[in-house]
Amino acid sequence: MDPALTPILEAAGEAHQLATSIEGYVYPNEQNLLWSVLIVVYPYITGLVAGAFIMASLVRVFNVKALTPVYRMALLTALGFLICAPLPLLFHLGHPERSYQVMITPHVSSPMAMFGFVYAWYMMAVLLLELWCEYRRDLVVWSVRERGLKGLLYRVLTLGVRDLSPAALHLDERMSKIITVIGIPSAFLLHGYVGFIFGSIKANPWWGNVLMPVIFIFSAVVSGIALCVVLYKELCWFRRKVVDAACYDDMGKFLFYALLVDFTVEGLDWLHRLYAAEESIFVLKQLAGGRLFNTLLVIQLCLGTLLPLVALGATQMVPEKLPVWFRQRIYYNSAVLILAGVLAMRWNVVIGGQLFSKSLRGFTTFKLGLAGQEGWLLAVGLIVLPFIVLGVLIWLFLPDDTKATETVTTPAAG
Amino acid sequence: MNHFKMPPQIVRLVLLTLVVVGSYGVARRLLVPPSFGEYGWFRGAAIAELAQTKPVLAGMKSCDECHSEILQTLAKHDHKTLSCESCHGASRTHADDPDTKPPKVKFADSDCLRCHQSNFSRPAWFKQVDPYEHFRGDHCTGCHMPHQPKDTP
Repeated sequence: MDPALTPILEAAGEAHQLATSIEGYVYPNEQNLLWSVLIVVYPYITGLVAGAFIMASLVRVFNVKALTPVYRMALLTALGFLICAPLPLLFHLGHPERSYQVMITPHVSSPMAMFGFVYAWYMMAVLLLELWCEYRRDLVVWSVRERGLKGLLYRVLTLGVRDLSPAALHLDERMSKIITVIGIPSAFLLHGYVGFIFGSIKANPWWGNVLMPVIFIFSAVVSGIALCVVLYKELCWFRRKVVDAACYDDMGKFLFYALLVDFTVEGLDWLHRLYAAEESIFVLKQLAGGRLFNTLLVIQLCLGTLLPLVALGATQMVPEKLPVWFRQRIYYNSAVLILAGVLAMRWNVVIGGQLFSKSLRGFTTFKLGLAGQEGWLLAVGLIVLPFIVLGVLIWLFLPDDTKATETVTTPAAG
Repeated sequence: MNHFKMPPQIVRLVLLTLVVVGSYGVARRLLVPPSFGEYGWFRGAAIAELAQTKPVLAGMKSCDECHSEILQTLAKHDHKTLSCESCHGASRTHADDPDTKPPKVKFADSDCLRCHQSNFSRPAWFKQVDPYEHFRGDHCTGCHMPHQPKDTP
């Protein structure tokens, strides 16, 4: 056989497989999905960043004192995940080495082209600045105490400001609060923008929806808090420490109310779609009940939303009847389910939006590969990577004896 | 007189901001090609560069100078709209100097399948085959004659 024929025969085999799994009528360019699993991972990670930051802001802006033990952990979580947030996009690109061009020749008419600036603003003007103000005092103390590379890192990070006078510390505190106030709309912007990218696509009825940024923001808040709930318990377990019950109860409370709002907003979206009953509603209903049945109705709705709502609701309605260990177990397990549900939600938005034809008369199919640029191995790797980065950040900036630094009282003059 | 002293944190942060923004400005100046934006959202010089590339296609008129009898056959059959080089490959060097070998005298099955492999995007009246289902005993040219596709060899 002609060897040049082999790739063509392979392609024909794939096309044949695809053709047998296509239902109804699809336009030729709709057979294959252009946005695959990496584009599912990307909004998931940015959502966790925004959510973890909102969680931290509860302490700083809304003065929820009980959450103080998780304040720093939440900020570091946001940073660890933010560092990894652009990676799924870079892996998705055919020419990642050209990605810097989006920063040097930005086109304001493209929301995707503006991502670099939204990212840079959030990373540098909000998160790093807030972390610096929060940590400056400790950085000075650690830079004196630690030797070697670690000590050098702390010294560099102080930026040479070694003033620990009460006035300087007060200024840190005030700056931190102002940055958090700016940070909340920025976190909303970061994730609202991801929703905006989908919501502004008018041609796709599954995406083109003004509620999309709001839905993304609330699901981000829910997933961020859920991640902190899981991480806090794991961190306590790892360090053989007792979970702060009041703190964990408050996290559970915020998780419940955030989930309730998220559920309401997404329910409102469906209610609106069903009542308005535009011409696309028939295909969307088939999509929800057919190709997205498992990920939308089973994982996202039942396991990721309704079950945690009932379980967390019980801890809010009848807390006195549930022992502390049982409540904590409910928070933890609900958080794990919510994290899976939000990942399924990203899948449903990204993949679901490409499964039906713009003709509204047919469906294509998507098969997730194992290896390769768009395989699930890489996707899992990209979800695991932020946890590794977070581990390093916790090792550097959240030592077991954080309290010890508070006893140091010799301020060095700036 | 009571002088206002800028707190050291603010001074360092302002300096750091200036360094970051300044580095961005310098990087932008160095990395953006000089002709960028001259005509639109692309490198203006790219047009001149593309215009300078040497053409690789000769065009059917050049083929007609020596192979007119084949072109006349082709013109009577279904492949009349195709250019010679669609199947035989870019042949500028051969047209300029007939002593050099043309890139492809015979073509591979993949050349036929480029147009005739069954595909959703092709209209139903267009002849298409699924290479898995279609006869696989020989090359396409074993049964079909490219210049007069309805005839058999």
